[in-house]
Amino acid sequence: MENILEVRGLDKTYPNGVRALKDVNFTVRKGEFLVVIGLSGSGKSTLLRCINRLHDPTAGEIIFEGQDIAPLQGEHIRRIRCNIGMIFQHFNLIPRHTVLSNVLMGSLGRLTSLRSIFGLFSEEDKKKALQYLELVGIADKAFIRADQLSGGQQQRVAIARALMQNPRLLLADEPVASLDPATCHTVMDYLKKVNEELGITIIANLHFLSLVRQYATRVIALKAGEVVYEGTPQDITDEWFQRIYGQGAKEVHIS
Amino acid sequence: MTSFNFKRVTFDAVVFSLLFVVALVVITKPDEEAMLMLGRNSLVFLGGCVLGALVSSLFAAWGIKTAGDVLFTPRHLNKLETAVPWYKTVWGWQMAVALGVTFAVAIVKTNFSIWELTDIDGFQGAMRLFKGIFNPNWEVLPAAVNNIIETIFMAFLATALAIPLAFVLSFLCAKNIMKGPVSFIVYTLLRTVLNVTRSVEALIWAIIFSVWVGIGPFAGMLALMIHSVASLAKQYSEMVETVSEGPIEGIQATGATKLQTIWFAVVPQIVLPYISFTVYRWDINVRMATIIGLVGGGGIGTMLIQYQGQAMWREVGCIIVVIAIVVWLMDAASAYIREALK
Ligand SMILES: Nc1ncnc2c1ncn2[C@@H]1O[C@H](COP(=O)(O)OP(=O)(O)OP(=O)(O)O)[C@@H](O)[C@H]1O
Ligand SMILES: [Mg+2]
Repeated sequence: MENILEVRGLDKTYPNGVRALKDVNFTVRKGEFLVVIGLSGSGKSTLLRCINRLHDPTAGEIIFEGQDIAPLQGEHIRRIRCNIGMIFQHFNLIPRHTVLSNVLMGSLGRLTSLRSIFGLFSEEDKKKALQYLELVGIADKAFIRADQLSGGQQQRVAIARALMQNPRLLLADEPVASLDPATCHTVMDYLKKVNEELGITIIANLHFLSLVRQYATRVIALKAGEVVYEGTPQDITDEWFQRIYGQGAKEVHIS
Repeated sequence: MTSFNFKRVTFDAVVFSLLFVVALVVITKPDEEAMLMLGRNSLVFLGGCVLGALVSSLFAAWGIKTAGDVLFTPRHLNKLETAVPWYKTVWGWQMAVALGVTFAVAIVKTNFSIWELTDIDGFQGAMRLFKGIFNPNWEVLPAAVNNIIETIFMAFLATALAIPLAFVLSFLCAKNIMKGPVSFIVYTLLRTVLNVTRSVEALIWAIIFSVWVGIGPFAGMLALMIHSVASLAKQYSEMVETVSEGPIEGIQATGATKLQTIWFAVVPQIVLPYISFTVYRWDINVRMATIIGLVGGGGIGTMLIQYQGQAMWREVGCIIVVIAIVVWLMDAASAYIREALK
């Protein structure tokens, strides 16, 4: 299968001098569900944010669909972002807008600024937005304000918003870290559905190994900004676990 | 030199220089002409500052605390001897003497005089004024009402016209929006212009505009508008600087333009505080508009100054009552609206 993303020699040093990523190399094939694990502060969020260029990488190449997007600037970054969806730990919806309007915001990249500011989303886009809400199972909440939904529901709206972009790649930064275990599985199941039914490649940061084993097709582990493990979730033995999370770490299970 | 050291020395220098200059004036008793020699006197003051800086540095070298030390040296470097009472410290005496001298100079400068306050002629004049004010002449009420309506609308228009300008400026003056080198230059430039604009009182703007467009409500409105733009832009931009980053990232990640990001992620977070600030500004503008009328800005203020000039205190009393009622009403209404917006 062909590669959708190749990261080569990626380095990120923040303006305050923190070197969050050190010579990171990995590839992602089309249709994969890649999970990134690692301790807090190991650079997982930084990695995802470099991929869609919310952060500027310091050095290295990020080859998305055959094009190196690391050196792109301004308008070009924006065009690339249209093809890459992202969901966040805290959902990052617009609280005062309705669910439908939040989902429609996924199409902003295709609209001119003026058109979108006057709220002129096409009927076609509205139909599509409702379809995606259907897909994540909350079409009935379309006209409710986003801040009146539960966390799990908000994350599903966020998934629908990302799908609205027609992305080829979906980045998920700890998508279930602020949800309870049951809701956590619902959201993960929808991500899996998006991955399998729509064929969208997913890169997700996760904390719980039990989730990783259940959903990931492949895993990379970061430690202090370096890739220390790359392989299938089944191959993460206790020994690897200790190496990634440090001596004496114990695995926590979430059912 | 670290920045707190610089602040410490500057503060001490100014305090010591003040004492030095006052001592000089008391000793040499300069005449009017000598007091007006701005260039030479500034040099004397600057010389005093240099001397003061030297004294401050000397104290620092001897390890004695000065007032500048107490104020500006960061806590973790500054071991205050808590057990020593202030009158046994240099900095305590430095502050006490400086305050005392300042107070003495202020009394001399304002021609403070108990005798004037208790002068029987003056006191009777004031009594006549009060008698007039507390016995208003209601015949001028219709004119006063018409004039205060003019004032209210003047304040309203000034606020309304200021909103769109301040709205746009608020984003250009917000640090979190204006990232990048070009943006930073625009940000710094606009901030400076607005700070200068705001530091010129509305009253002064009214004087400028009453010469420009002639005395009347239009001049007053323009003055209030300029001042409102500067004040609102500052308050608005502070609001923009505190919005949460999450929604901004969320919208940016969809490939939205900068303008779309501001409109969809920032604006929903700030509309309510914006409305609240704006209502409050209108309230302030009504109050300011009455004052601005005094220098030819039209409305009730102009009417007030005319009757005051003719010493028609009963008419002035009526006008004051009208102003007080309207200001009180505006104040209550704006507080009520702002409470509802929370
Ligand atoms: N905006 C920033 N400016 C400066 N340093 C940052 C910034 N964001 C992250 N860092 C630093 O970079 C390192 C990696 O942070 P990152 O957020 O990528 O870790 P993470 O693996 O996502 O952790 P977590 O699991 O807590 O989310 C940390 O040391 C962090 O302090
Ligand atoms: Mg993170």
